[in-house]
Amino acid sequence: MPVDLPRAVPRTRTRTRTDTASEERTTLETEGPWCTVVWNDPVNLMSYVVFVFRRYFGYSRVVAEQLMMQVHEDGRAIVSRGSREKVETDVQAMHSFGLQSTIEKAGEV
Amino acid sequence: MAHAFRRRPDGSLACRLDGEEKAIIAQVAQETADLIRADLGIDAGGDALRRAAESEDPLRRLEAEFAGREARTPSDSAVRRLFPAASEDPSLAEEYRRLGQRDLADGKIADLRRVMSILDAAGGGHGEVVLDEDEALSMLRALNDVRIVLADRLGLQRDGDFDTVRMLQQIGERVEDAGPSGDEEHVGSDIVIAVYELLSWLQESLLRALD
Repeated sequence: MPVDLPRAVPRTRTRTRTDTASEERTTLETEGPWCTVVWNDPVNLMSYVVFVFRRYFGYSRVVAEQLMMQVHEDGRAIVSRGSREKVETDVQAMHSFGLQSTIEKAGEV
Repeated sequence: MAHAFRRRPDGSLACRLDGEEKAIIAQVAQETADLIRADLGIDAGGDALRRAAESEDPLRRLEAEFAGREARTPSDSAVRRLFPAASEDPSLAEEYRRLGQRDLADGKIADLRRVMSILDAAGGGHGEVVLDEDEALSMLRALNDVRIVLADRLGLQRDGDFDTVRMLQQIGERVEDAGPSGDEEHVGSDIVIAVYELLSWLQESLLRALD
């Protein structure tokens, strides 16, 4: 993601990673053996990725920003889990927004 | 000169664009839609297919159904970015293309067409472009898809590549100032860079207005 957009720097950066990570665990759907993975790319704006995560998954700003930073810094993030059918729908939705996304079996990587 | 998107009291979103800016955005939206259609073979023989689908002959109907569901792996690198493999497992990826690629393409083309007609309706001169919430979503997705195509043409692979492209452009300008040059390829990429920047700025401004 391009990093030249000052507004996109999340206010949550001062928080510790464990804070947001535990929050994420309680908020993300944890059922099911399949995952939606979103991959980093040099085009999608940070603010757009946060917008998509909030809009499509209904995540709070904090969770959406944490996931966006994970994509940006680690190159990928698991953004949802569930039945294969649900995750297929999520991956297709990510593609409709122009995000690079794959379906993965939980625990594969 | 373009003015950023802002939320109006009635909840709609408005920006101001020059006639030339509207024409450029409409043109790249059109080119992106054309590229998707050409690369995925959409519309090719569409009429013949429709006739076959309505045929009395059950075998012809079956053939039409099969042909309609055929999903090509994109050959253009930009279209591959718009329609990425949904799985690292090639046979799963193939299955997802067959199941979902056509719907995905229809959605992307519908967004691009919608943006073109919004810009057409806004008229040729400098003026306001007004969107409702749903149109704003189409605009965000369409701007993003066009940026993905332009980024591919600029060879952007990793974070920071656009900064490098800009830096090389500026060095190129300085070299040109020093002596006569000006090959066409260079001019072409300058335009792509400028359009990419305009679309990125517009998308960011719409995201801020929506926030």
